[in-house]
Amino acid sequence: MKLTVEVWRQESPADAGRWERHEVDDAASHLSLLDLLDLLNDQIAAAGGEPVAYESDCREGACGACGVTVNGVPHGPVPRTPSCRQHLRSFDGATRLRIEPLRSAAFPVVRDLVIDRSALDALVTAGGHVAINSGTASDAEALPIGHDDAETALDFAACIGCGACVAACPNGAAHLFAGAKLAHLAMLPQPALERGRRARAIVDELEQRFGPCSTYGECAEVCPAGISLAAVAAVHREGIRAWWRGRDD
Amino acid sequence: MTSTTLRSATTSRARVSTFTLKLAMAVTGWLFALFAAVHMYGNLKAWFGADAYNGYAHWLHNALYPLLPRDGLLWIMRIVLAVALVVHVVASLVLYLRGRRARGRFRRRGHNRWAAATMPWTGLLLLAFLTFHILDLTLGIAGAAEYRAATADESFAYQNTVASMGRPLAGAAYLLAMLVLLVHLVHGLWSSATEFGLTGRRTRKAWKVIAYVLAIGITVGNLTLPIGVWTGLL
Ligand code: HEM
Ligand code: SF4
Ligand code: FES
Repeated sequence: MKLTVEVWRQESPADAGRWERHEVDDAASHLSLLDLLDLLNDQIAAAGGEPVAYESDCREGACGACGVTVNGVPHGPVPRTPSCRQHLRSFDGATRLRIEPLRSAAFPVVRDLVIDRSALDALVTAGGHVAINSGTASDAEALPIGHDDAETALDFAACIGCGACVAACPNGAAHLFAGAKLAHLAMLPQPALERGRRARAIVDELEQRFGPCSTYGECAEVCPAGISLAAVAAVHREGIRAWWRGRDD
Repeated sequence: MTSTTLRSATTSRARVSTFTLKLAMAVTGWLFALFAAVHMYGNLKAWFGADAYNGYAHWLHNALYPLLPRDGLLWIMRIVLAVALVVHVVASLVLYLRGRRARGRFRRRGHNRWAAATMPWTGLLLLAFLTFHILDLTLGIAGAAEYRAATADESFAYQNTVASMGRPLAGAAYLLAMLVLLVHLVHGLWSSATEFGLTGRRTRKAWKVIAYVLAIGITVGNLTLPIGVWTGLL
């Protein structure tokens, strides 16, 4: 299969960036997006050029490193699937791919397709963690968690931190990511001890770095972890609750 | 830009939080929706004849008299709605600008969420309609030639409405405004589930149903008026 690939090239965060056009002649349909980038890079290197920088690690949808935007859609045309698990065969015979970084003001481009996701780390640092002494293994035995609660909490914990939800949002909001953390930790007995403090810290961090949620619902369409759109409402549920109670838990 | 400059840039000015602004949008939006629902109910009285409609309008002008002065209830509603309108519009502008800034140089394209994307524009159209509507049927400035203001013991709301909507352009404006209202209300009411923090699966489903029923009910109920006038039934 012959493919026209337009790829975003950017030397550094300060560089304005530009599109670069390549023809890839033997793009087999079983290739993943990252395989295609590897093939393209071989071609570029053989011609003496500088390969396109992109991020990847697990290549199996677990690490969240690989997200790129394909024809305007974060991760690519297949819904709820990370870039590394998107294969050319499911692109409906597209012959032209525009590949650019995940876009949002909160994610500066480091180089080419590589972005800086520190803004998401800031949310985790602010409140996406458990900062209490949770005791020893036997204490865990003493705090049984119902099966349904454990499953729901795990569903919200499935986020791989890829940042696609932010890039999918026309407002640059991170409510799906932040709400997933809040919903997950609010359901478990030990993390819930700092539920109010966590909500205030995360809501405040969201204010500083991200945009407002207008319930477009695009985030949940691209989320490779299948986080439900209900997570965006957890931001306000937890925020209102913390404001109402005015306490740390 | 380092995170410290970003922080000081946003916190140096007094700033109403996005969280608060979104809640204010939801509360004032619901206020309009509930008002519009009651208003639609009042409009349906047209189907019970001119006397029913005018009698209701007359009652509105004199409701709770002598506890309140004449037009007292109307003025309370006008003031509450006007304050809500200012809050709704100003908050939407601030949120719109914040969203654009948080998104940055490269806009998101290629999604088909047109109802969400057009909220600022359907909102502005409603504002224009509201202005016309008040000039038309409350003040009579943009009303039909036959417009007659209410007197102390009589209202001509029915005749005014029928005469106004009998004008093709004005009738079309009412029709169009209701379709715009439908889009604005469906997305706005559904979106308020996010602001009110409704996360439960069943709750969210029910909320969506309520949003559609209320939005469709208000617009269809109101639409029966211009259609009734055009078909000669009113
Ligand atoms: C096609 C549908 C509508 C009809 C037939 C209609 C009819 C009327 C009439 C006859 C009045 C004057 C009542 C009186 O003072 O005697 C009125 C007032 C008013 N209408 Fe509507 N209306 C419609 C839709 C709407 C909508 C959608 C809104 C906004 C959501 C709205 C907002 C208002 C307001 C705010 C007033 C009061 C103005 C004031 O007294 O200061 N109307 N309407
Ligand atoms: S919520 Fe989904 S889209 Fe957002 S960072 Fe987590 S895995 Fe990625
Ligand atoms: S490379 Fe790990 S999720 Fe794609």
